[in-house]
Amino acid sequence: MQWLALAARSAWNRRLTLGLTLAAVALSVTLLLGIERVRRDARASFANSISGTDLVVGARTGPVQLVLYAVFRIGAATNNIRWDAFRAIADDPAVAWSIPLSLGDSHRGFPVLGTTPAYFEHFRYGDRRALEFSAGAPFHGLFDAVLGAEVADRLGYRRGDRIILSHGIGGAGLPEHADKPFTVVGILAPTGTPVDRTVHVSLEAITAIHLDWQGGAPVPGFSIPPQYVRKFDLSPKEITAALVGLKSRAAVFRMQRRIDDYAGEPLLAVLPGVALDQLWEVVGTVERTLLAVSAMVVAVGLAGLVAVILAGLNERRRELAILRSVGARPGDIFLLLTVDGLIVTVLGCAVGVLMLAALTAAVRPFAQSHYGLGIHLQLLSLPELRLLGAVVLVGLVASLVPGYRAYRLSLADGLTPRL
Amino acid sequence: MRLSTLLIALALAVAGVAALPAEPPKHRVGDRLKQSNGGAKSGHNYQEIGWNALIPTGWDPAAPFRNMNLGALSDADVRANNALELMRKAWDEAPVEAGWNGQRVRIPGFVVPLERRDERVTEFLLVPYFGACIHVPPPPANQIIDVFPNEPVPNMRTMDAVWVIGPIEARRSEPKTSSDRRMGMGTAGYRMKAELIEPYKDR
Repeated sequence: MQWLALAARSAWNRRLTLGLTLAAVALSVTLLLGIERVRRDARASFANSISGTDLVVGARTGPVQLVLYAVFRIGAATNNIRWDAFRAIADDPAVAWSIPLSLGDSHRGFPVLGTTPAYFEHFRYGDRRALEFSAGAPFHGLFDAVLGAEVADRLGYRRGDRIILSHGIGGAGLPEHADKPFTVVGILAPTGTPVDRTVHVSLEAITAIHLDWQGGAPVPGFSIPPQYVRKFDLSPKEITAALVGLKSRAAVFRMQRRIDDYAGEPLLAVLPGVALDQLWEVVGTVERTLLAVSAMVVAVGLAGLVAVILAGLNERRRELAILRSVGARPGDIFLLLTVDGLIVTVLGCAVGVLMLAALTAAVRPFAQSHYGLGIHLQLLSLPELRLLGAVVLVGLVASLVPGYRAYRLSLADGLTPRL
Repeated sequence: MRLSTLLIALALAVAGVAALPAEPPKHRVGDRLKQSNGGAKSGHNYQEIGWNALIPTGWDPAAPFRNMNLGALSDADVRANNALELMRKAWDEAPVEAGWNGQRVRIPGFVVPLERRDERVTEFLLVPYFGACIHVPPPPANQIIDVFPNEPVPNMRTMDAVWVIGPIEARRSEPKTSSDRRMGMGTAGYRMKAELIEPYKDR
């Protein structure tokens, strides 16, 4: 064990160069683990966003795209589906419940979802969990709104506050439905899903705020005040998508076929679980590339480490020669140099893990609010441990190189009188 | 120099392992899985069965067409269309074999994931042939098993081939309303609480 102390002391003597290489290794380890963590948490986050739904129905498009805009509010619908098409599906005897979804408006960057009270009753997330209210109740009146936890939290809304919806999805500068303000009647408990970032209103309200609009803009000189909108037919004409739950899950293929073959208009029904798998297939290539790049970065870090130790060998000839003269065997020299590299690798991994923990804690609120991505505060998971193990292993193998070289040198150096 | 070559090789090896391409699909649309040896196995307290065993003996979806000369009909013929409709209905109403209720079985099939907790699958449908949900007509009700694994299954993707082992439950609930009956919408079907799920390997 004496040589371990020796190795540590010698390393301390070269703390600047070794410290820098340690930082390089630590950074590369942070990158590698960070990518792995984001990958896993993104998947879990998506998978937890929808549960209990048998089919997602929309206009004919790609299955992945349909699930992305209908469930995760990413991207926009290419087409709507007509209300009678939805009714035909909802009235099918195989269907237990159905939730119409109407998207397209927003409130200060948060998407607005037009739906029915069935949403609060049947929508499930995570492990078949139902939505809960932290305050208030589902909407009843025409201009009532229910906020997701995040919306209420970030914009500081409470029950009874009045909000104005904007037409379209995006940042500032959107035309506003200023003449028809909504009242906040309920706030949902946090779910960690896109629901948190959504403003929920009734389908009739969506029709009502667009009564006096034509082609995406208010008609000049023509305005219908809120007190008169009830005189109009507010039954929805179109919706963006629908979530469907069946009485028997085994009937899902038949129902899917029936919806796909619907004669009235081209529709698409997808099983959310299958669509997610398709999404991962697409994203998987990118993930593997990222992982490969970060593995390369780790390799570069370790190569730097080996280079530093090798370069230091020349300066340490005297040190090694003295060690030899006081009785260190060439094998000891070999061990000494190998442990040198291993210590830096292990320390680098440890520092990397700590940096990752700090980084996760710092980035978490931002990822949650901007991307709806729930990142877990967790020190290490099993796949991460496996990656770390691989890094240490490669570090060990790489450290054998300077060890072997010192071993050879110390043999030769011991015989040459010149120092 | 040898060292640098070694290092580059090392780096490439690490990157190569990380960049391993996804496995190409092993099955083609419509493929079915073979039994291991067929029949019951002694020494285990489950019975290995094939998908045909789940079809009640005597159920014949083609019965309504026995007296029809299908070959003589053209595709545009109304009777052909009606026959197809009848066929589809018979398919939808496919009865279950009640004899399997409560039996512990082992059966191979393809996975269609339904529910996930984090990344693990907590409920899936087991279907007899590859691509059942996408390209080919849906299997009849008695050829689908709604599987609830006792332990959530990690790394499970659509159309993975697996063996599932556990007690099977044959549910023969009668249609509730007259309109349900007319549409053939009883919720009959098989369910299983899977005790064990193993990847399917050709032997």
